[in-house]
Amino acid sequence: MTSARDEILGRLHERPVNGEDQLPPPWQSRRQFPDLAARFEEALTAAKGEVKRVADLPAALEEIGRLLSSLDAERVVINGAPAPLDEVTWEERFPGCRWHIAGQSEGALRAFCAEADVGISSADAALAETGSIVVQSGPGRSRLATLLPPVHIALVPGERLTADLFTWVAGRGEAEFPANLVLISGPSKTADIEQTLAIGVHGPKRLIVILYGGKQPHFTIGQ
Amino acid sequence: MSNERVPTGASVAEFRQRAKVAIEDVRLQEALEGATGRFRTARELALAELPGAPALRDHLKEIRAATLAALAGHLERFEANAQAAGAHVHWARDAAEAREIVTEIARTHGVSLATKSKSMATEEIALNEALQAAGVEPVETDLGEWIIQLAEEPPYHIIAPAIHKTRDQVAALFEAEQGAPLPSDDIPVLTEQARRRLRQRFLAAGMGISGGNIAVAETGSVVLVTNEGNGRMVTSLPPVHVAVIGIEKVAPTWEAAAAWLALLARSATGQPLSIYTSVITGPARPEDADGPEEVHIVLLDNGRSRLPGTNYEEVLQCIRCGACVNICPVYREAGGHAYGSPYSGPIGAVISPLLFGLEAYGGLPHASSLCGACLDVCPVRIDLPRMLLDLRADEVETGLTSRPEQMIEGAAAFILDHERLLAAVRGTLSRLQIPVVAEGRLRIPESLNPAGKRQLPALAEKSFHQLWAEGIGDVDPADEPADNHGKR
Amino acid sequence: MEEQKEVALFATCIVDQIMPEVGVATVHLLRRAGYEVTFPAGQTCCGQPFFNSGFREQARRLARRTIDVFAGGPPVVLPSGSCTTMIRTEYAELLADEPNYHYRARRLAAKSYELSEFLVQEAGWKPEANTGAPTVTYHDSCHMCRMLGLGNEPRQLLDQAGCNVVEMAESDRCCGFGGVFSIRMPEVSNAMTADKVCQAEDTAAEWLVTADPGCLMQMRGLAGERPQVSHLAVVLEEVTRP
Repeated sequence: MTSARDEILGRLHERPVNGEDQLPPPWQSRRQFPDLAARFEEALTAAKGEVKRVADLPAALEEIGRLLSSLDAERVVINGAPAPLDEVTWEERFPGCRWHIAGQSEGALRAFCAEADVGISSADAALAETGSIVVQSGPGRSRLATLLPPVHIALVPGERLTADLFTWVAGRGEAEFPANLVLISGPSKTADIEQTLAIGVHGPKRLIVILYGGKQPHFTIGQ
Repeated sequence: MSNERVPTGASVAEFRQRAKVAIEDVRLQEALEGATGRFRTARELALAELPGAPALRDHLKEIRAATLAALAGHLERFEANAQAAGAHVHWARDAAEAREIVTEIARTHGVSLATKSKSMATEEIALNEALQAAGVEPVETDLGEWIIQLAEEPPYHIIAPAIHKTRDQVAALFEAEQGAPLPSDDIPVLTEQARRRLRQRFLAAGMGISGGNIAVAETGSVVLVTNEGNGRMVTSLPPVHVAVIGIEKVAPTWEAAAAWLALLARSATGQPLSIYTSVITGPARPEDADGPEEVHIVLLDNGRSRLPGTNYEEVLQCIRCGACVNICPVYREAGGHAYGSPYSGPIGAVISPLLFGLEAYGGLPHASSLCGACLDVCPVRIDLPRMLLDLRADEVETGLTSRPEQMIEGAAAFILDHERLLAAVRGTLSRLQIPVVAEGRLRIPESLNPAGKRQLPALAEKSFHQLWAEGIGDVDPADEPADNHGKR
Repeated sequence: MEEQKEVALFATCIVDQIMPEVGVATVHLLRRAGYEVTFPAGQTCCGQPFFNSGFREQARRLARRTIDVFAGGPPVVLPSGSCTTMIRTEYAELLADEPNYHYRARRLAAKSYELSEFLVQEAGWKPEANTGAPTVTYHDSCHMCRMLGLGNEPRQLLDQAGCNVVEMAESDRCCGFGGVFSIRMPEVSNAMTADKVCQAEDTAAEWLVTADPGCLMQMRGLAGERPQVSHLAVVLEEVTRP
C-alpha cells in the first residue's frame, strides 16, 4: 500500500508540465525613499504604532526611562540580545522596575512575561515601507517578551533600516532562519466586530519603536 | 461545543433559498456592504500606492504558475528543509487522513485543550469535530472565528468570519461563554473580554493549531499572517504546534515569498502587511529562550493534486486573499452562508465543486453572472469566470443537468437554427401574450413569474426581421415604429 | 473612385424579438455615419445563452450558423457588447476542432464590432448635437468594459452628441442580468439590479444608458419612472436626428 506521501507526489510527478517551470528573475524593489526613517515613522504611525526618533543610544535610554515612568511600569521583561540590549545593565540603569532578562535572569520566563507591564526587544532589521520591525528568536531572545505584555518597546539602531521586503530578503542573503522570525507592523488589532477597529486584542496594545542614530544606508535599486 | 463546519453542499435551490434569507436581512446587507466596501476601497488605495503593482501581479502569477508546474519537487525540498530544521512533516491524502494525523498527535501528547488560529484548511477538513470526538477541546482564537464558534455557525467570509454579527449579538455570546453579564456591548469592552478569556486558554493549551499562508521551500519555513497576535500565541506558547497547509501554498524561494507577501495583505484588507508576519522554521532550538518543543506540518491534498494538467489547474495559484469575495456582486447580496462551504465568493464557487464534488456543489457554478470583476481584482489574475463556464459545461457533459433543462435548451437551439420555424413560434407567442401585455411588459403574478419581482418584457409586436422586410426608410420620426420605443 | 462603405447588421436575438427599435436606431446611426447597411436574413442568435449554460454543442450549432450567415460579407456591427464578445472571444475556441469553421470564425471575429466601437474607431463618426440633449448616466456593462475594453467610446459619443454625462457610483458593477442567471437565481439577480438602479437614481439623470440589450431588459424590469432605461443607439439616434 502506497504511503500518502508517495501517492500525492506520484500524482504530481505524473502531471504533464504545461507551462514554464522556470521562476522569473527576482523582483527588484522600486522603492526609493530619500529618508528611510521618515517613511518608517509614517508607515508605523498609520498602523497605530508609535515611533520616537532620537539621536543616539543615550537619548534612547532616556526615552525608555520616560516611558517606563509614564506607564508606571513595575515588571519589565527584556531580551538579552541582540545589540544594543546586551550593552546596558538594565537593573542598574532603571532600578525602579523589576527586571527579567531573557536568557540571564533566574525564574520562569513565561510566568514573568504573563505578568509583565512592558516587554523590550531590539530588532534585527526594520522595513521602512511598511513600518515593520523584524524580531528573531534565539538565545536570550524571548518570543513571549514581545507578545504577552501589553506594551512592547523596541530599541532599534537606525542603520538596521532597509527599504522594503525585497531589499530585506536580498540583504539577508543566505543567512539562516531562526526557529521564529516575526515582522511586527503595529500593535495588535482587529476589525472583526462590526468592522470597527479595536487595538490590543491578543498581542500588545502599544508598539513603541525607538529609532536611534544611524546614517542612511546607501540605497540603490537592486540592493 | 459542537460546530456545523462540515461543507454542506449547494444546489441551485439551496443557494437561492439561503441567499433569499440574506437578501431580506436588511441589517446583514448593511454589514456586508460596509465591510466589503471598506476592503474594496482599502485595496485600491494600497495598490495605487505600490510602485509597479500591475507588473508585480504579473510577476507573482509567473511565480505561482512556475511553482505549480514543478510542485512535487518544491514540496520535496520543503519537506527536507523543514525536517532539517527539526519539524515533523506529514502528508494527508484527504480530510479524514488529516484529521487522524492531528488527533493522533494530540493523543500522543495527552492534549485536552488546543488553541487554534484561523485556518481555512482546518475548516475544510472539519477538524474541530474530530478533535472534540477525541476528547480535545478546540478553541478558536481569531476573534471572528471565536465568535462564530460560540455561535455554532460556519464562517461568513474568508477574511472576516463574523462580518454578519452585531455587537449586541457578540455581547450575548460572550456573556453566555462567561456565564456572567458584561458591563456593556461597547467594542472596547468586548475586545477586552476576548483578550482576557482567550489569554487563559492560550496559556493553558497543550497544543496550538494553525494553518499556513505560505510554505517556503528554500528554508522549510511556514509563514503565518495575523493582525491580532493569536497566530504568534498559538505557535509560541504551547509545547506542540501543528500547522495544516494545502500542498499548493508553496513558494520556492524567499524572493517568491516576498512578492507573495507584498500582494497578500494589500489585496485582502489594504494593509501593506498584516500586523504579524510570523516565519516558523522548526521548533525552538536548544538555546532558544522559548518556543514549542515540537512542530508538526501537515501537508493537505484533499483533491488538489488532481487539478494540475486539467483546465482547472490555475485555481491552485490562489493565495487566499479574498479580494474576489469583496468585489463579487453576487456575494455582496447572497452572503457567505449561501455557498454551503468554508470557501465562499468566486473562489469558493470554483474550488468547492472541484475539491468536494460537482454533485454536491452543482449550484455554485451558476451562482454568478459571469461579470468578470473577480478576474479583475485577483492578484494572480486567475480566470475564475472561465472556470465557472467550464464547470457549467462539465455539468451538462456529465449528465448532471436536469432533463427539463436539457430539453428546453435543445428545443430552443433547434428553433433558433431554423428561421422560418422561429418566425412561426414567435408569431404564435406574440399572439398568445396579448392578454397579459401592458406597455411592453408581461403582467403576470409574481408567483408565476420566473423573474420574481422583476417585470419581463413582452415580445415586440413585430420582430426586427419583419420591420426590415417592411423597409426602414430615411430618418423621419413619423415613420419610426412607436411601440416599445423608449416606452415604459 | 470611392467604394460605397457597407456593413452588415447583426441585430442579436433580444433586439430582434423584444426591442427592434434598437436595431432601427442602429441602422439610422450607421447611415448617418456614411455606411450602407445590409441585414442578412438568416441571422438569429449568436449562441451565447447556450454557451453560458454549459450547452456547448448547441452553442456550436448557432456559431456555425452565424458564421455561415456573415462570414463572406462586409464588417459586422452589433448593438450588443455581449454578443460581440461571444463572437470575438469564444467562437474560434468553440470550433477549434473544425478547421474550416475555426478559420472562418477567426476572420469573423476580426471584422465584428460593437456599435460604439465601430462608430468611433472605424467610422470616425463625430455626432453633431441637436437641442434638448438630456442628462444621462452610463452603465458599463461587464462585456463592454471588462471584456471589450470599451468604456470611453460610448461616453465620448454621448458627450459629443450634447448629452450631459453624469457618472453613477460603481458604473461597472454588474446589473444582475448574467443571461440565464436572471431566471435561475432571480432573488440574487434582482437584488443586484435593485442596487444598480438605486445607484443610477442617485445621479438624478433622466436616462440610464447601456450598450447591452440584456442589461437594458434587466434594469428596465425593476427601474422606476426616472431614470428611463435606454439603449445607446436609441439615445444617440434621437439626439442627433437631423
